[in-house]
Amino acid sequence: MSVREATPNVAEARRMLKKGIVIAGVGETEQGVLKDRGSFQLLAEATKLTLDDAGITLAEVDGVVTAFSFVEHTLMHATTLCDYLGFHPGYFASVAVGGATAPLMAVQAALAIDAGLAEVVLCVRGDNTRSGISSSGMIAQAREMTQGEFEWPYGVTTIGGYGLLAQRYMYEYNVPQEALAAVVATQSEHGALKWNAMLREPVTIEDVLNSRMIATPFHVLDCSLVNDGAAAFLVTTADRAKGMQTKPVYIAGIGEGYSHQYISQAKSVDSVRDGLGRAGRRAMEVAGITPQDLDVAEIYDSFSFTPLIALEGFGVCGKGEAGNWVLEGNAKLGGKLPMNTHGGLIRQAHLGAMHHIVEAALQLRGEADDSSRGGGNHQVPNAKWAITNGSGGILAATSALVLSSEPPSA
Amino acid sequence: MAEKNEARIKWTAEQIKQGSRPEGRPFWEGTKEHKFLLPLGLDSRPFWYPRAYAPGTLEDVTWKESKGEGTVYSYSVHYIGPNGSFKGDPPHVVALVDLDEGVRVMTNLVKDEENFPSIGPDDVQIGQRVRVVYEVLSEDVTLPRFTPAD
Repeated sequence: MSVREATPNVAEARRMLKKGIVIAGVGETEQGVLKDRGSFQLLAEATKLTLDDAGITLAEVDGVVTAFSFVEHTLMHATTLCDYLGFHPGYFASVAVGGATAPLMAVQAALAIDAGLAEVVLCVRGDNTRSGISSSGMIAQAREMTQGEFEWPYGVTTIGGYGLLAQRYMYEYNVPQEALAAVVATQSEHGALKWNAMLREPVTIEDVLNSRMIATPFHVLDCSLVNDGAAAFLVTTADRAKGMQTKPVYIAGIGEGYSHQYISQAKSVDSVRDGLGRAGRRAMEVAGITPQDLDVAEIYDSFSFTPLIALEGFGVCGKGEAGNWVLEGNAKLGGKLPMNTHGGLIRQAHLGAMHHIVEAALQLRGEADDSSRGGGNHQVPNAKWAITNGSGGILAATSALVLSSEPPSA
Repeated sequence: MAEKNEARIKWTAEQIKQGSRPEGRPFWEGTKEHKFLLPLGLDSRPFWYPRAYAPGTLEDVTWKESKGEGTVYSYSVHYIGPNGSFKGDPPHVVALVDLDEGVRVMTNLVKDEENFPSIGPDDVQIGQRVRVVYEVLSEDVTLPRFTPAD
């Protein structure tokens, strides 16, 4: 089988982003068990919060990018939402690449703006996955992560599917369980400061190791959350953002990469790292930075292992070194590269990578201090560069963004 | 235990029937005769899972019998499952096995005993040699699984 990596046209991506494509507003609802709020209600709530943040009205939005719902299935999610919100923007699209969806929504918005299809694009994702999903819906969701004929019948779960690669990684690099638990402990300290994090009590490495084993190597505390909630961000041009009330955050780099769809077809730990890592490496190349330039990293964390291989793939750490890197405290607030400063999918809530993007934007705006709303200060001082990513499937399709507090240099 | 195993057998057979694509039929016909058939491209290299055309080259597909022997690439001991018949005691072991012919398949690691109970969490390791066993789920479906080689 011949595999050819597409030659990325970095210059063309830079041309687009140098025009100044920004995130000019963000919004997050409460996260958790929200029994009285339906899927579209949550999307509408996140939309209102985001428009209020930017200081604009719905009438000023001329593009909408949405994702999908596990609860209210529709083949036309974007226009279904537009109808619910009561407006008819000229540009609409739905993106469905699992956990990679959120960064790809931002890319889709940027492309639409660059093509002149829209100028102010609302990107919104959310669902009442916790309260609204049926058991058959839950099973269908798990089945979709696997090859239906040759994986699913063996009783594999999403957790165990990740476990297969995690255990191989731990075997190849002699990585202890403590390294995975350190990701959880680190993020739990951050989640304690985030106003809407579902889990606000910090946990220790021992707490993680003592929690119930679900599928090796993952304990219950190694796993991400299932919740109701929504989040949104507004993408527009730097020029258009001048009329809005927030400090714009620049999309400086975009990238995608993957090595497999089904975990049984992943060739090796190396190939997975390289495939998903390409997303982050490409995003940094477009932005013209190296991992050393990063101030904050909001890294997709479906399980405690997930960020480790991404950190290595992006070049933040060497192969097999991310576990020690986290154990040494580098990922903590105050460490070398604070990671998942909002608690991540493991401690805050799981809406794909939506919250990672919102948190990265808040960090770069200098507004990651939730002291006034019942949380705490989790601001990385003077953060200028952030990387964020999402991964769909089991360490499969990955999309990454580099965001910056400053406009791209000419 | 026995009831649970019956529920698992029923569920698994249903999932395979529902999930089957036409291009996989030769494989499932093969397992009924205790043959593990691998799809090949024109370059005679096996690939997995079955497709209508060889992946990457889109050549026509032929089939060849695997010896059904391989090595554990990785595994995850599952204390949960996609439904109640998998959940709990004993846990089931999901594994990736590299067949000697050069493809990787997902499977369960089981004891070669009546009803093929799961092997214990401490009896599995990466690099372990395994061989195929066939579990008759129904008249239509025979499921290949793997057991430690003697």
